[in-house]
Amino acid sequence: MVNRAKIKELMNESACSHSKDKKPGAGCDAPKPGMAAGGCAFDGAQISLFPYADAVHLVHGPQTCLGASWETRETLTSYKGRNHTVMGFTTGITTNDVIFGGDKRLDDSIAYIMLHYKPEAIFVYSTCVTAMVGDDIDMTCKLASQKHGVPIVPVHAPGFVGGKNLGSRIAGEAVLERLIGTKEPAFTTPYDINLIGDYNVTGDMWQYLPIFEKIGIRVLSSMSGDGRVSDIRTAHRAKLNVIVCAKSLVTLCRKMQERYDIPWVSVSFYGKRDTSFAIMEIVNALGDGELIERAKKVIAEEEAILQAKLLPYQKLFAGKKAVLNTGGNKAWSIASGLQDLGIEVVATSIRKSTEDDIEKAKEYLGPTGILMKAPASEQSKIIDERGAHILLAGGRSLYTAIKKKISFIDVNQEKKVSYGGYHGLLNLAEDLKYAFANPVFANVSKKAPWEMV
Amino acid sequence: MQTQTKIELSKKEHKPLQVNPIKHSQPMGAALAFMGIKNCLPLMHASQGCASYTKVFYTRHFNEPIAMYNTSVSDITAVLDGGDYSILMAIENITQKNKTLLPELIGLHTTGLTETKGDDVRSVGMHIEIPYCYVNTPDYEGGMESGWALTAKALIAQHTKPSAQTKASKILLLPHVSMQPIEVEKIKELCESFGCTTLALPDLSTSLDGYLSEGQGKLGTGAISIEDIVGLGDCEYVITIGASMNIAAKALLEKNAAIKHAHFNHLMGQEANDNFVALLMQIRQTQPNALTKRWRGRLQDAMLDSHFLIGSSHFVITGEPDMCVGMCELIQSVGGSVDAVIATNYSTVLESINAANVFVGDLEDAVKYFAKADLVISNFHAEQLLHMQEKHTALMLRGFPNYEELGNQLKNDQLYEGSTYFLFEVANALRVVKHEKH
Repeated sequence: MVNRAKIKELMNESACSHSKDKKPGAGCDAPKPGMAAGGCAFDGAQISLFPYADAVHLVHGPQTCLGASWETRETLTSYKGRNHTVMGFTTGITTNDVIFGGDKRLDDSIAYIMLHYKPEAIFVYSTCVTAMVGDDIDMTCKLASQKHGVPIVPVHAPGFVGGKNLGSRIAGEAVLERLIGTKEPAFTTPYDINLIGDYNVTGDMWQYLPIFEKIGIRVLSSMSGDGRVSDIRTAHRAKLNVIVCAKSLVTLCRKMQERYDIPWVSVSFYGKRDTSFAIMEIVNALGDGELIERAKKVIAEEEAILQAKLLPYQKLFAGKKAVLNTGGNKAWSIASGLQDLGIEVVATSIRKSTEDDIEKAKEYLGPTGILMKAPASEQSKIIDERGAHILLAGGRSLYTAIKKKISFIDVNQEKKVSYGGYHGLLNLAEDLKYAFANPVFANVSKKAPWEMV
Repeated sequence: MQTQTKIELSKKEHKPLQVNPIKHSQPMGAALAFMGIKNCLPLMHASQGCASYTKVFYTRHFNEPIAMYNTSVSDITAVLDGGDYSILMAIENITQKNKTLLPELIGLHTTGLTETKGDDVRSVGMHIEIPYCYVNTPDYEGGMESGWALTAKALIAQHTKPSAQTKASKILLLPHVSMQPIEVEKIKELCESFGCTTLALPDLSTSLDGYLSEGQGKLGTGAISIEDIVGLGDCEYVITIGASMNIAAKALLEKNAAIKHAHFNHLMGQEANDNFVALLMQIRQTQPNALTKRWRGRLQDAMLDSHFLIGSSHFVITGEPDMCVGMCELIQSVGGSVDAVIATNYSTVLESINAANVFVGDLEDAVKYFAKADLVISNFHAEQLLHMQEKHTALMLRGFPNYEELGNQLKNDQLYEGSTYFLFEVANALRVVKHEKH
C-alpha cells in the first residue's frame, strides 16, 4: 500500500539542499493546480528503474500511464538478452477492474510475463487508479514472487503523491527494501563502487566507464543505467556510492550509509573540468594512494588527448558568447561544457534550479554572469546587451533567437548523442559548430514580400 | 514460426495485459480535440503526470509547442476535493499568472483518477465565468478515438443552440481523430470549392499544422471558435468521417431535427470519394471544379501504376479503427492482401473490414504477422520490432505517435489527391524491400 508516513519522510529529505531553509516537516512543494508541471511520481519512479533491461516493468494502471511513456527515452543497455527497456507492459485496467479490483488481472499478467519472457525480475508500478481502488499489490507481488522464484518488486509511486523527484526516491526505496542486500557478489575488490542516478541516456555512462577501467575502479552495480537486477542486489558490498547528477536519489545513498556504512559522493560528468573533478572525488573517497596516482596519470593523458582535439574548436569559438536557458543541473553543467570549449556563458537560467545548482551556477559564471530568474522575459534584453551569438534553450524560445537573428540549440530536444565525459564534449562542439554556421535562423527572420513597406 | 491461434474480433480482451501497446487513452484524444478549438484552454483534470505525458507525446509527434494544462490532483485533493477546488484553483492560477491569456473556452476533461474518485465536473461550471465544456473521459474506458469523439459531442450538446431553421449549403464536418491537420484542411477546401460554408469540429487545420508564429502553445488555435459552435444548429448538413464521430452528429440532430446527416467511414480511395463528391454535387447542384476531376484521373492512374506491386504484396495495418478501415479498403481496391488489422479498440466499423485477421490487440500480437508481410503500416513503435526480425519488411509510419519523422501534420492520405500520394508511398516502400530479394 501507499504508505503516507513513508511518503512524508521521503518528501523531507534532510540531505537535500532545499530542506535547509524550510521548517522541519515542511518537505518538498506539493504541485500547484494549473501550473505547467512536469512529470508525476510514477514518471520519476519509472525513469529511475526502467533502465534495468533484464527486468520487466509492468505498469498496473489505465492506459495513459504507459501508453504515452514507453520507448521514449534513449537509455541504452549492453544486456545480451531480450532488452525490456524498449518494451511496454501494462495491465491496462478497465471499468471492471476499477469496480471489482485489479488483483486478479495483475496476477494473471505476471504469470503471462513469466511464461513468455522469463525476466530476472518484475517491477510492478502502482498508479493513481489502482492505488485509489486499493488493489493489494504487495500481497499479489509477494505470492507471485514465491511462486515464480524471481524478485517481483512493488513500486508505490502513484502520480498524485507528488512530482518526479519524489517518484525517484520511492523507486530508490523499493530497491533498498526489496533488492539491495539479497545476494552476495561473486567477488569484491577495494575499488568497488555503485553508480547511482545515471540512466545511460544516449550512452552517457559509456563515455566515462572506459576511463574507470583504466584506473581500476570497478562498478559493482548501477541504479540503473545499463544495470542488472542481479548486480543491484549485491550493492551493499560496495565501498562507495557515486551519485551522478541526481538529487533525488540522495535518500537512497544516505540510507545505505546508515545501514551499510557506505559513504557517498555526488558528481557530474559534463565537460572536461567536471569529469576530471568527478574522477578525483571518487578515487579520493576510495582513499587508495596507488589508485589516486593512477587516476592522476590517466586524467592527464585523457585531458591532453582531448585538448588537442578541442583546439580547432576553441579557435573557432573564440569570442563567442552564449545565453543558456534550461532547468535544473543543466544550468551549470552545460555552462561548464561551453566554457571548456572556449565559449563565454553570459547568462544562465536558475528558474527551476535547487540551491546547490544556483551556487554552482554562480561559481561557474563568475561575477559578470547573469543568473536569470525569469528567463522568458529577461533573455531578449540580455542577448542585446551582451551581444550573445547563440541561445541554448527549449523550443519555446526559438522565436527569440529568430527575432535576434542569432543561432539556436534546442537543449530539451531528445538528443541522439551523448554530451557526457571527455568525448561527449566533442559531440557538443560538433553540434555547436553546425549551429553557428547555420544560416537558417537569419533566413527565416526575413520579411515576407507583403510585409515590406 | 509460432503456431497461431486465431484471435477473434471481440469487445473482450484476449489476454490479461498489453505488451507493447498501440492503444492510447481517452483523455489524450480529448486534449487533442480541445486544441482544435480557437482560444480554448485544454485543462486535464488529473494528477500532473497525465498532462505531462500527453504534452510530451504531442510535442514530439507534431514538433510543436502544445497547449495543455492540468489540475494537479494531489493525494490530499484526491481524497478531500470533489473537483471544484482543484479545477477552480487551476483556472485562477493560469489566468492570474498570465494576464494576457484570454481563453474563450475552458475545455475540461477527466481521467481515470478523477473518474474513480467521482468528481462532479458538471456543477463546477456554474462557478466559472468563461464558457466551459466538460467531458468524462476515464482512461480505463475507450481510447483516443472515443475521447476525441466524446469531446466533439460534448461541445455540441453543451453549447450549440437549438434551432428549427437551416442555412442552405452550411456544412459541418466531423473528422475522426487520426486525421492530420492538413487532411482536415483539404476536405474543407473541397467542400468550399463547391460553394459550401464549411466548418469542422474539431478543426486542427490551423492548430498543429506546423506554422511558425509567436506565442504558440498557450491556447488552442483551431479554426472553429466557441461562437461558431454555438451557431451550429442551422447547418444544412452534418458529415461524419469515421464511425466514431456518429455520436457527435446525433447530438447535433437533437438540436435541430431538420439537419441532414451523411456518413462516410473514411475518405480514402476512389469509391468513398466518388460518393463524397456526389453528395457535394447534390447539395450544391453543381459540377466539381476542373482540378477535382483532374485528381480523380490521377488517382486512377496511380491505382493502375501501383497495382502490380501492391497487388502481389501482403500488408499488416495497426491503429485506430477509423484509420485502419480506410487504409485497408484503399489497399484492397488495388489488389493488396491485408493479412491482419490490429486495432487499438473495438469499434463496429471493424466488423466491416474484410481481412484474414481483424482484432483488437497490441504490437506483441501484430508482430506475429510481421514476418509474412511485405509492408507494415503502424506507429513508430513498430520500427524497433521490425529491426529485430530477419526478413526485411517495409514500414510506413501512420497514426500516433510518430516521434521520428518530421512533417506528420502535413501528410495527406484523404480524397482523390491524398489517396494518390498514399498509393505511391506504399508502392515505393514496397519497391525497396522487394528489390532486395534479387
